[in-house]
Amino acid sequence: MTSSSDANRTFWDRQSDEYQERHRDFIGRPEPRWGTWQVPESELQVLGDVTGKDVLEVGCGAAQWGILLAQQGARMVGLDNSARQLEHARAAMGATGVDFPLVHAAAESIPLPDASVDVAFCDHGAIGSFADPLLVVPELARLLRPGGLLAFCHFTPFSWVCIGENDEVGDRLVLEYFGLHRWEDSDGSVHFQLPYGEWIRLFRRNGFVVERLVEIRPEEGAESTYLTADETAWARRWPLEEIWQVRKWS
Amino acid sequence: MELTDHARFNQAEWEKAAPEYEEPGRRKWAGEVPPSWGIWRILESELRALPDVADKDTIELGCGTAYWSAWLARMGARPVGIDITDAQLANARKFMAQYGPEFPLIEASAEDVPFPDASFDIAFSEYGASIWCDPYLWVPEAARLLRRGGELIFLCNGVLAMVTDDPPNEHQLVRDYFGMRRFDWPDGIDFHLGYGEWIRLFRENGLEVEDLIEIQAPAEGPETRYDWTTREWAHRWPSEEIWKAQKR
Repeated sequence: MTSSSDANRTFWDRQSDEYQERHRDFIGRPEPRWGTWQVPESELQVLGDVTGKDVLEVGCGAAQWGILLAQQGARMVGLDNSARQLEHARAAMGATGVDFPLVHAAAESIPLPDASVDVAFCDHGAIGSFADPLLVVPELARLLRPGGLLAFCHFTPFSWVCIGENDEVGDRLVLEYFGLHRWEDSDGSVHFQLPYGEWIRLFRRNGFVVERLVEIRPEEGAESTYLTADETAWARRWPLEEIWQVRKWS
Repeated sequence: MELTDHARFNQAEWEKAAPEYEEPGRRKWAGEVPPSWGIWRILESELRALPDVADKDTIELGCGTAYWSAWLARMGARPVGIDITDAQLANARKFMAQYGPEFPLIEASAEDVPFPDASFDIAFSEYGASIWCDPYLWVPEAARLLRRGGELIFLCNGVLAMVTDDPPNEHQLVRDYFGMRRFDWPDGIDFHLGYGEWIRLFRENGLEVEDLIEIQAPAEGPETRYDWTTREWAHRWPSEEIWKAQKR
């Protein structure tokens, strides 16, 4: 494993209980929802119909997404780098009577065969946030079948360059944009980001067609257990969170 | 040719501004400036934003003095330049007569182009239609003009530059990103879209996103004659970007 995946495994094992406790009700609602404002998938239509498809959630946490998609008929596999997160996933699966494979591995090196997945997705997890995209995107290109979908929700490059000293987004450019890649938080976690153009080139190099970039604008006063009211107000004006939707050439 | 209201406004402003762009255009036609992009004049030989243009039919949408089309012609392309400003086209024709090579220059708007479908391999703009025309009009036109496999390549202002204030407050976000499209200034009406909106517009018009080249100004060198950015800013954040998209 790379050192960032070691660091993030330690971080997530340590904070998993507290995270699930804090966000359980917000992210545990009965239909699939994206991101820090939990916008319904039925509204955004990113994944489409998953019935009968091989779906991999990369960074599945407590498998809130996976359980719902399995109930819709997806053949789910959940992957997470944190054993403690997967314990929460197993408990949630037991409680709902849903069962599917959970894989404990870092997203940079996934123990699944080539061309075995129809949909690989992530909602603020390994892809676009906690694993190096320069390693993860090629790995997912390997796993996806021709025509397969890669979709992930994460914070925007735009918001990264506006993060001030208090670690909140503000209305000034602070961080340099060129060279965005890796950022180490004081809590020990390691976060990844790329400039918009670098994302596009990374997708293209790995055989993906760029279909859509959904820039999420929250409703006024939208609830979030992740963000402050000020951050949500900021996100009404500038893009804080986005979903990339790209498809493997067929 | 019926111009849109913003095109008529911009046409009048460009008739006034044309003298300011005459000498910079002449120097490029004269071969004193190598093929290069944007206000920082980043060399095409470094950026490599263009495909091999030899024997390609190219159309420059909002060509101004048409120096880019002259460069494309010298690279072996068969260019056509279109613009709605008489004074700019008159300067282009003067430089063409003086320095060559010859190619068609046509008075027309990129929002309504008098060429048949699938006539070009490359639709191109550097600060032409790419900012002065409404993308919901000119991008469908560019897509219509392109042959299958043809490329749309254009340079425009970077998004972060559009939402921030001018120097000395160039770090301050002052304009909203969501809903950005038309910007009305005292001396022009220009158009800018966010990342997701460009991608949506390309796809709707049968164009596949190929690349987004975000221009970084080199750390050292003179300031430009434009007051909306500084070299220091443009070294840290993209003041300009080049989109490339391919007709399916």
